[in-house]
Amino acid sequence: MRRRKFLIGGLIVFLAVGYLGYMGFRGGVTYYYTVSELLERGSSIYGENVRVNGQVALGSVEQKPGGLILKFTIIDGEESLPVVFQGAVPDAFKVGNDVVVEGHLNSDGIFQANTILTKCPSKYVPKK
Amino acid sequence: MADIGYIVLSLALVASIYSAIAFVFGARGRHPVLTKSARNSLFAVCGLVSISVAVLVYALLTHDFQIEYVTAYTSRDTSLPYLLSALWAGNDGSLLFWGWLLSVFAAVVVLQKRDRNRELTPYASSIIMVTEVFFLILLLSASNPFHKLAFVPADGMGLNPMLENPGMIFHPPTLLAGYVGFTIPFAFAMAALLTRRLGGEWVIAIRRWTLVSWLLLGVGNIIGAWWAYVELGWGGYWAWDPVENAGLMPWLVATAFLHSMMMQRRRGMLKVWNMVLIILTFTLTIFGTFLTRSGIISSVHTFAESALGPFFLVFIGVTLLGSLGLLYYRSKEFKGEAETASLVSRESTFLLNNLLLVGAALAIFLGTVFPVISEAVRGVKISVGPLFFNQVNGPIFLAIILLTGVCALIGWRRASIKKLVRNFLQPLGVALILGIALFFLGIREWYALIAFSLCGFVLSTLLYEWFRETRARHRMRAENYLKTFLGLIGANRPRYGGYIVHIAIILIAIGVIGSSFYGVEKEAILRPGESMTIKNYTLTYEGINHYQTPSKWIVAATLSVYDEGKLIGKLTPEKYFHRSYQQPVTEVAIRSTLLEDLYVILVGRDKDGTTAFKVLVNPLVNWIWIGGGVLVLGGLLAFWPGKGGDR
Repeated sequence: MRRRKFLIGGLIVFLAVGYLGYMGFRGGVTYYYTVSELLERGSSIYGENVRVNGQVALGSVEQKPGGLILKFTIIDGEESLPVVFQGAVPDAFKVGNDVVVEGHLNSDGIFQANTILTKCPSKYVPKK
Repeated sequence: MADIGYIVLSLALVASIYSAIAFVFGARGRHPVLTKSARNSLFAVCGLVSISVAVLVYALLTHDFQIEYVTAYTSRDTSLPYLLSALWAGNDGSLLFWGWLLSVFAAVVVLQKRDRNRELTPYASSIIMVTEVFFLILLLSASNPFHKLAFVPADGMGLNPMLENPGMIFHPPTLLAGYVGFTIPFAFAMAALLTRRLGGEWVIAIRRWTLVSWLLLGVGNIIGAWWAYVELGWGGYWAWDPVENAGLMPWLVATAFLHSMMMQRRRGMLKVWNMVLIILTFTLTIFGTFLTRSGIISSVHTFAESALGPFFLVFIGVTLLGSLGLLYYRSKEFKGEAETASLVSRESTFLLNNLLLVGAALAIFLGTVFPVISEAVRGVKISVGPLFFNQVNGPIFLAIILLTGVCALIGWRRASIKKLVRNFLQPLGVALILGIALFFLGIREWYALIAFSLCGFVLSTLLYEWFRETRARHRMRAENYLKTFLGLIGANRPRYGGYIVHIAIILIAIGVIGSSFYGVEKEAILRPGESMTIKNYTLTYEGINHYQTPSKWIVAATLSVYDEGKLIGKLTPEKYFHRSYQQPVTEVAIRSTLLEDLYVILVGRDKDGTTAFKVLVNPLVNWIWIGGGVLVLGGLLAFWPGKGGDR
């Protein structure tokens, strides 16, 4: 009898955690694309929050006076995507490096990034 | 030199294999001679690995650039502390450090348990040696720290300047020592299964090992958070990065284990559950190491992708299957599980807290590996952001905090409802008054209100309990209060250490709640002489300075900070441009008080003098670090050997 009470209690906890997980999951996940995967989706992706992975193209970085607004292009070998970002640029952001931008694609084809994540495979190992 | 290191490691491998086997045969056949030789070769392993560490340290200090590792992480201008910390700066070195710690811990176990746990120790030592074998194999194959270059470079590449922070000296070794330490409780759990001694014996044998590993891991995480806060320059301290999660998951499960151990010791309950928890903790520590080194999930922490992945996967697989299989095989022999207690009892709060802690760890685990799973199953990569982790864990952590308070008020076995109501009245009153006061002070977010009130509830419970116990002792002994208070702590260190740890957790929670709900940030582009305002602060940009040191150029912006018109100080956020390193390093400026931090980042500047800043006000962040200090205090108090020995 007591055992059953405890089992029911455990089940309630389990369901509660599951529910929280589900709710958090609905709000917290972001699709993760490469540049060409993103562009394949066409207009269906406009305005949706996504992450895009690509390489910062040579000669594409343009910084507005003061340095708060940054424009650059990311490429993945096939396609390219112009990105606009406002904010503090991470230290590891550099032409030629891999970055992940999070934000949304506007209908004019420019990606409005809210965050730049520098993928930094070399935090411990300097580039060979 | 490099050859000596490698040869010594090979010898250590042989000795550890012998030791692992000899311990088992010695104990099974009751051959004291064999056991003795196993023990000696365990000491030999410790000695040999220590020599190889000494060789690597020597090579680092003498700039032996023929060794690839030395070249990769140091240069001639690296200062002494960072030369030493280069031992754990890289993948290979940190694995060597791991193997070394494990061998030292093994030697301590054998020395410490000479006269106790005669049945368990040989098997436990054997398990530890098997783990040591795994790390030695890694060191001799996929990540050899003594790998030589075909030529001798004139100078090394140096440490990444972002790592030049006291965090580098304290964070990795603390965290790693915590990780490694959990091998010991795991080994004793396996020994208990192997020898069928499934009672309280093994739990008692490992109490202090578990405690110290838990403490190190917790402190390691907090130092990591502090490091990220002051160095990485994005204004926060925790980002639910996979590697941060890798440190948090075993800590959560180990927290559950610390509590449920107590249930087995005191009440003979949860014997199987305890086994499961320590197996999970150990596996999660190895999994954490795997996450950092395999490059499977992208994160700020990742080492370069390496060939280590398969090794770790095999080891994790073998550990999980082997230990859970053994547990299943022995499951019929767990006898005398004590009757579960009444629903309203301290036992059930412990159970609930266990479920919640493991639930939180599970949720974090799923969130962390989800990108990999979804890519494997559906071919789409999905990343799980902080929002998920916060939404799931926020309520769980609040429930755990609530339980901390409730648990202190409820007695073991069965609590009388009447007494319970009486005990609850006072702390509930405090929580209510606090909630109302905060409401009038302008905190209107219901989530934050509840969270702060909960903290108030728990804090008042803990302090009230402490006060009551002091008063009772005072009446009994007629000593002065201070003496009573100290005597009380001395009489039961684990108990009061526990109280202090719980207070520390509440302090950390207060910091986390404050900074998550009431952080403000603002970006501004200023010319010299211009000002910006954030909350009650006004920052006036005075100008920019350029200067250089032998290793770097420094750009420093100076801002005067006014609090409602009154000058309270100057802040100088900087950017470093190292000569030897292409990447700039942003040095934030922080004005820190107990109430809030003013955090200024120099974003960038233009030739015409316009400069971009990002400014944040992070309330209560300091309490996280203070809580970390209190945590160490409480943990050490509980850990310190008392008169009663292992309690």
